[in-house]
Amino acid sequence: MKTNFCILLLTVYRSLIQILYMSTRDDDLKADLLQGTLDLLVLKALSAQSLHGLGVSNRISQITNGTFDVKPGSLFPALHRMEEAGWLKAEWGESENNRRAKFYSLTKAGRRQLETETEDWQRISLAIGSALRAS
Amino acid sequence: MTTLFSRAGSLLRNTTCKGQVDRELTEEVGSYVELLTEKKMKEGMNEREARRAAMVEVGGIEQVKEEVRASRTGFAIEIFFQDLRYGMRSLLKKPGFTLTAVIALALGIGANTAIFSVINGVLLRSLSYANPDRIVMLWERSVTDTRRQMQNVISPANFLDWQKQSTSFEQMAAVGDQRVNLTGGTGEPEEIKAQFVSQPFFAALGVQPLVGRSFLPEEDTVGNDLVIILSHELWQTRFASDPQIVGKQATISGRQRTIVGVMPSGFHFLDNQVRSWMPLALDPAIDYREKTGRYLRAVARLKPAVTVQQAQGELAGIAKQLEQAFPKKNTGWGVNVVPMHEQVVGEIRPILIVLLAAVAFVLLIACANVANLLLSRAAARQKELALRAALGATRMRLVRQMLTESVLLALMGGVLGVLLAYWGIQVLIAFGPDNIPRLNEITIDPRVLGFTFGISLLTGILFGLIPALQASRPDLNDALKEGSRGSTGGRSRTFRNIFVVAEVSLALVLLVGAGLMIRSFMRLQSVETGFNPENVLTMRAQLPRKKYTEPHQIVDFFKQAQERIAALPGVQAVGAISYLPLTGLASRDSFRVVGEPPAAPGQEPGVEVRVITPGYFQAMGIPLLKGRLLNERDVKESRVLLINETMAKKYFGGVDPVGKQMEVFWDGSGPDEIVGVVGDIREGALNKEPEPAIYWSHWRVPYSGMALVVRTSGDAARFGTAVQKEIRALDPEQPVADVRTMQQVIAKSIARPRFNTLLLSIFAGVALVLASVGLYGVMNYSATQRTHEVGIRMALGATRADIMRLVVGNGMLLTFIGIGIGVAASLLLTRVMASLLFGVTATDAPTFLGVSLVLAAVALVANYIPARRATRVDPVIALRYE
Repeated sequence: MKTNFCILLLTVYRSLIQILYMSTRDDDLKADLLQGTLDLLVLKALSAQSLHGLGVSNRISQITNGTFDVKPGSLFPALHRMEEAGWLKAEWGESENNRRAKFYSLTKAGRRQLETETEDWQRISLAIGSALRAS
Repeated sequence: MTTLFSRAGSLLRNTTCKGQVDRELTEEVGSYVELLTEKKMKEGMNEREARRAAMVEVGGIEQVKEEVRASRTGFAIEIFFQDLRYGMRSLLKKPGFTLTAVIALALGIGANTAIFSVINGVLLRSLSYANPDRIVMLWERSVTDTRRQMQNVISPANFLDWQKQSTSFEQMAAVGDQRVNLTGGTGEPEEIKAQFVSQPFFAALGVQPLVGRSFLPEEDTVGNDLVIILSHELWQTRFASDPQIVGKQATISGRQRTIVGVMPSGFHFLDNQVRSWMPLALDPAIDYREKTGRYLRAVARLKPAVTVQQAQGELAGIAKQLEQAFPKKNTGWGVNVVPMHEQVVGEIRPILIVLLAAVAFVLLIACANVANLLLSRAAARQKELALRAALGATRMRLVRQMLTESVLLALMGGVLGVLLAYWGIQVLIAFGPDNIPRLNEITIDPRVLGFTFGISLLTGILFGLIPALQASRPDLNDALKEGSRGSTGGRSRTFRNIFVVAEVSLALVLLVGAGLMIRSFMRLQSVETGFNPENVLTMRAQLPRKKYTEPHQIVDFFKQAQERIAALPGVQAVGAISYLPLTGLASRDSFRVVGEPPAAPGQEPGVEVRVITPGYFQAMGIPLLKGRLLNERDVKESRVLLINETMAKKYFGGVDPVGKQMEVFWDGSGPDEIVGVVGDIREGALNKEPEPAIYWSHWRVPYSGMALVVRTSGDAARFGTAVQKEIRALDPEQPVADVRTMQQVIAKSIARPRFNTLLLSIFAGVALVLASVGLYGVMNYSATQRTHEVGIRMALGATRADIMRLVVGNGMLLTFIGIGIGVAASLLLTRVMASLLFGVTATDAPTFLGVSLVLAAVALVANYIPARRATRVDPVIALRYE
């Protein structure tokens, strides 16, 4: 009887914890970090011209010398999320070989976001760089 | 900011044009694949290879789309609606289950909503005064050996001294309650309740008249006080809501008064029957300390920084000085400062707390009930859940789904509960005693609805969580097997048993509470009143002082009225008394027995003083024990009185009091001779022991307001019109009030305990039904679960009786554990009821025993039915039962 009651209490407690901390699991944290990098790369890729999904992916691969190969499974969610945030706007257009495709370009807010994120990134990379150089 | 707006726009688009958004996504991903294929072809692959490579790189179009969907704004909402739709469907698929659960919850939530709205209206919602937390009531208090009065009315002299000397208050106002006669306007002469208030009264309460103005300072002086403020109701009923009312005249007890204002609707001070306010106009020239007794109440508004304790301290200091300055009248008298809110609700707080606990228990029982229903249902749904889990639903998602369903159930219960509560409140107001303060102000307001919504959510989670957690970890292997029995394992059964035990014990606590109230009420009803209330009609007449100025006019009026009434056919006896028994009113004074040493000042024994006309004792059926009664010849000069039995026993011991002298200090006119002893009656209330009392003849103290008591030969109520006609014939302008039979008077005096008993009994009844249904449900379920086992046992030679013993024994074991816990909890909890009980203790053994037996009997029935079904099983079928 007593043990069962303890189990009951523990179950309630554990599920409350689960509900409370649902959004901050470990893998979510990692995703946040990567997501920030991806956003910056997408913004940068679109800073010169408007591109469709594959174009963005190619452009990122090109400007990072092939270090980042963004797959559609993470590219499209990022594009849609950033569009919803108002950083990108999308229009249907024609590709170089006359295929219908959705072209993304930066909005004013997107440009501002690119600037802030660039500054942030440079500050962080400087800081990390100096931290790594320190002996 | 832009982000926020943009997101809001997307949310709108995602939820409203879902189809289009999705089509565009399909096209977008499709075009990506095409473009990638073309790129690969350019790099030298043939078309088939290129398409294959592209597909591999994309990694599944549907998965990509799903990822995008999951990243969209409002995805969580979408999932929620999915759960909701799914939940709704699955609830509608089992209407029997849904209906049972919703009704159980509606009973629990409805009861809570009704009682919460009472508490909201009576306890929480602030009084309709400005800054009510700074308003206090001032009382005199006297705690001596012979008197225990914490809230005693005030002597005007003391009030004036407090007002003069204290600095804690912004305003301090005295209030005297009186009944006055209103003539003029539309309608018959009418007796109305009025409050005579000193000028700062309305300012102290912080309420302004709706029409006109409040009293001016100069109107609170003798000679300038012929003004009146009407209540909203009186203005409507008697003056047809005349907007030009200010400046018009009203005749109050024979005097013309100018109407200066009308108070807003709902405004009242302590008594919602009061219909008008007039200046009190205390005369500083009069020595009230010597001339009158204590009869005022006082209300005051604290200065902003002053606490109740500080005010109490200051007034106590002043009272101490007054004690020293006026030892004869003030020895032993102090001050009691009571916050207004406490004053209004303090008395009914215990019963509201008991009721709140009761409905909380009802709700908990309902929760346990529904949780058990859900556990059984979850067992039946195991395959479905296992399938969803196998298709990739996470445990979280399953729990969320189940919780969504239970919250949905709870909310449906909540909606139905509000309807029940709405209806219940109407009943409460209709049948509630009219002396519960502010009962008529109770409504279902947003706060009540918020409360209901809150407890619905909470109950939904409370009863849903355990079944949800239980059901969300199905053993996939076992559950998906064709024909598996879907047994839910030991832990689920343990939970079920815990719930049943909890239900039984909660129901027992409620039943004990109700049982105690019922026994207490029965005791109250069977109290020996000392008089015979059958066929007695009562009414009040208050003669205006302006018209009946001389004592003999007053006495003659009642004498003539009595003669006229006595002449009516069917009337057996008529009398009159200053205050009718069981209306809670009395005059008190202190006295001494002549020949005994005088008591110290402030230590004099007290006595109730009642003034009667000849015929009162016959009309009430109160026996004469010794000596003689008062008669027509006992005029002012004859100086005689009667005492009651308690007085004779307490102050004369074994000696015959008849012929002895005693002095009631009253007007200081000296001692009277005791000529008779009459039987004790319950005067103040049925639950109050008789107090020492004396009876004077009306000649001695010519009260202008008396209650007439008429003993008739048949149904007393039928004599009402005839009796009123006789009084009207005597004085056409004289109203008669409170025409009631004595039995109605008694009923009204115990209306509150009756109401409390009724409410608690209803809740206990609901609890009993819910608990027994819950018990039945669980026993039924486990009997079904054990069909296979029963089959084996019977095949091995167990008799029906054995099986019966097994199944019933199991259920009764749970019941007895529940009763045991319930009894223990009751012993702790019923203490809070002690102040509500009369004639039984809070641990009354017969009640505990009786209630336990009732509960055990009901549980036995709830166990027996499923058990009997279990024994009817044919072993062959049972063994095959899958």
